[in-house]
Amino acid sequence: MGADGDAEAPAGKHALSAHIQKCFPGGFELAAELEAAAGITILFGRSGSGKTTILSCVAGLLAPDAGRIAVGSRVLFDREQRLDVPVVRRNVGYVFQDLALFPHLTAEQNVAYGLGRLAARERRRQAQAMLEQFRIAHLAGRKPAELSGGERQRVALARSLVIEPQVLLLDEPLAALDLPTQSQLFADLRRWNREHQIPILYVTHSQREVFALGERVVVLDAGKVLAQGTPQQVLRAPLQETVAQLAGFENIFDARVIALHPAHGTMTCRLEGSSVELEVPLAKAVAGEAARIAVNAGDILLAVECPRGLSARNVLAGRLVGLEQEGITVHARIDCGVVFQVKLTPTARESLALAVGREVWLVIKTYSCHLLEPEPG
Amino acid sequence: MSWQALALSVKLAVIVSAVLFVVGMPIAYWIASSRWRWKFLVEAVVALPLVLPPTVLGFYLLVAMGPRSPLGRLWLRAFGHTLSFTFEGLVVASLLYSLPFAVQPFAAAFRSVDRQLVNASATLGVSRLRTFARVIVPLSYAGIITGLVLSFAHTLGEFGVVLMVGGNIPGVTRTVSIDIYDQVQSLNYAVANQTALVLLAISFITLSVVYAVNRKVWVL
Amino acid sequence: MKNVRLGSLFLLVLLLAKSAPAGEITVAAASDLTFALTEIAHGYEQKSGNRVKLAFGSSGNFFAQIQNGATFDVFFSADVEYPRKLAASGLAAAPTLWVYGTGRIVLWAPADSPLDLGKLGMKALLDPSVQKIAIANPAHAPYGRAAVAALQSFKLYDQVRDKLVLGENISQAAQFVASGNAQLGILALSLAVAPTLKGKGAYWEIPTDSYPPLEQAAVIPTAATDKSLARAFLDYVRTPEAQAILRQSGFQPPPEKP
Repeated sequence: MGADGDAEAPAGKHALSAHIQKCFPGGFELAAELEAAAGITILFGRSGSGKTTILSCVAGLLAPDAGRIAVGSRVLFDREQRLDVPVVRRNVGYVFQDLALFPHLTAEQNVAYGLGRLAARERRRQAQAMLEQFRIAHLAGRKPAELSGGERQRVALARSLVIEPQVLLLDEPLAALDLPTQSQLFADLRRWNREHQIPILYVTHSQREVFALGERVVVLDAGKVLAQGTPQQVLRAPLQETVAQLAGFENIFDARVIALHPAHGTMTCRLEGSSVELEVPLAKAVAGEAARIAVNAGDILLAVECPRGLSARNVLAGRLVGLEQEGITVHARIDCGVVFQVKLTPTARESLALAVGREVWLVIKTYSCHLLEPEPG
Repeated sequence: MSWQALALSVKLAVIVSAVLFVVGMPIAYWIASSRWRWKFLVEAVVALPLVLPPTVLGFYLLVAMGPRSPLGRLWLRAFGHTLSFTFEGLVVASLLYSLPFAVQPFAAAFRSVDRQLVNASATLGVSRLRTFARVIVPLSYAGIITGLVLSFAHTLGEFGVVLMVGGNIPGVTRTVSIDIYDQVQSLNYAVANQTALVLLAISFITLSVVYAVNRKVWVL
Repeated sequence: MKNVRLGSLFLLVLLLAKSAPAGEITVAAASDLTFALTEIAHGYEQKSGNRVKLAFGSSGNFFAQIQNGATFDVFFSADVEYPRKLAASGLAAAPTLWVYGTGRIVLWAPADSPLDLGKLGMKALLDPSVQKIAIANPAHAPYGRAAVAALQSFKLYDQVRDKLVLGENISQAAQFVASGNAQLGILALSLAVAPTLKGKGAYWEIPTDSYPPLEQAAVIPTAATDKSLARAFLDYVRTPEAQAILRQSGFQPPPEKP
């Protein structure tokens, strides 16, 4: 069990490799190692986990205390060798969280800003081509104040990409946009990415973006890398509790291993403080050992009649003790001896005529129960 | 009505403002962006003329320009005469006296430019000097204009320092403020009033034109 | 019982006598009287127990201030015209006008000057090493006017006119030449013999027939706050000790009244 750390994408000659150590006066310590091949690598974590610091170090705006940053064979920073390439020569594109568009320049001038070395005509041509690629050519003469959020994002992207950077850094670029605009930008970015194939570090704390965009995700917490891999590997089957919490696993229980069933590939665990027993995938454990089990609220089925003939191994009877609607999600709480959180659609709630106090049954697949590793150190 | 004195004052104010623009901008940029731990000392020195009585500054300048000080001797050897009682002497004195009136508004304007814009410029491969010219300066127009106008107005009205090192030579160091003072001393109140009104009108028109032109401010 | 009563009464009288308020006057005086008047006032304070506040500056300045309502108790001018004008316009009591002395102008060179004033006299002004000559502003300072008069009677005015630098008052003229920024100056004798300039340079008395006499008069303005105290001070200045100080300071005694 457990897949992490193996790079299925071979580190190409233009892959970004970053080993960064930095201490901050407040006590925060960043010690992260990551590899990012061509394509989109998501840096996922809570705010304050060090994601933006990593971006700043790669860009050269912040100097690590120790470590090494390189793109392919080109070394940008190496403390041992006392090498620190200045920001202006790193050729790293950076789209800041607040975009940092030059307010006194038009969209076209913003995009052309980094092309100063070229002749005026060539500059205009490239800038216009870029604007067209991002479908904002008609806004060339407008100033940032006259553009919408999504349009500004595109200008910022175009500006950083027109200089043909070797690495692209994006800091929560879609946070302030509405869903349709977000999807459009996802599409534009993926299209550009297919053509250019450079390492792109994409910082976010949104799960949705991870699954929509990511080819690889690096999970960061309190300055350390907790896990690396594909989004499915890391977030669907989280190995560590922190990652589980980050990925939104609402149900995390203490349990004790009761019996092992090697022939079936499962084992039975009893949740502490109750008589609830769950059949979970087999792991290297002995009877009587303590364990932590995580179940995603979206992976649990609700039934108002005792279901029969199901493949699922875990059918638990309980009572509905809480029901809340938040946007398009209904959060239900069911007491089976321990309280489970379940996510439903409003339609489901209506059609089942759910109400607090109702007797219900929970159905949980074995493979929806994830065993968590004990926290490191 | 001494037009000569008025012209002299305007000439002095224009030259001093121009020099302060050239000299003040790099100083202000350094103050706005440096993180040297002793920077506060430099800031205090620049701000000194704000709190020093002009006569104190004038006195020290007189001594410094005299043939007994090392600086005075240097100048004497180079040019054959001391800096005191010359128009150039007034320019030097006014530069020191009006320095904070230029540097402080410049520095405040540079500081208020969003740091992220400077970072963005750097990541796009633009050097610090060109970033200064293409991002910081255009976004600091209001502050720069304020600094220039303040230097101009301050030098135009200068009295104490000019009195100490000027020597009241007509056409050379008799500025309009000295002239008005002389008229008052000689009890020629009518003439003094006339000159004062003209000076007031010129100052007001200059300031109005500058502020009218400077109405646009970059938003976002 | 009676003794205690008397004793406490005596103590009370003593206390009251000690805390009787000392008089105070404000005196405006021309800058050339700086050292003389400071000494005289000190002597007066010791003798009378009253306080004298001294303000030194240019006579023209004080004249204008008194015209505009300043309440100086005594005005020592560097000339006789300003006090006369004040008396004529009713701003000062004419009987109080008193010429306290006549001033003199001298040619002054700092100690490091190569010029031998004793030998050259006024010709020193024409020496090529002299680039700047400091005098008080003739527009409003009597000593400045006297300097210009002397230059004209020696027929040097047109030649040295371009080299003149004007001090706000005689003290500033002295500052210009003492600091070396001007090579020569025409100053008041009273300043040249004052402790601060004495020994810092040499002076040559300009012949008194080359400029109109610098009669210097004092007057009590009508706006004075304490006229009797002002009169008392003026009386003290007439005393031999005060006169001696004035003479030492370069002021010739007032002309004998006919």
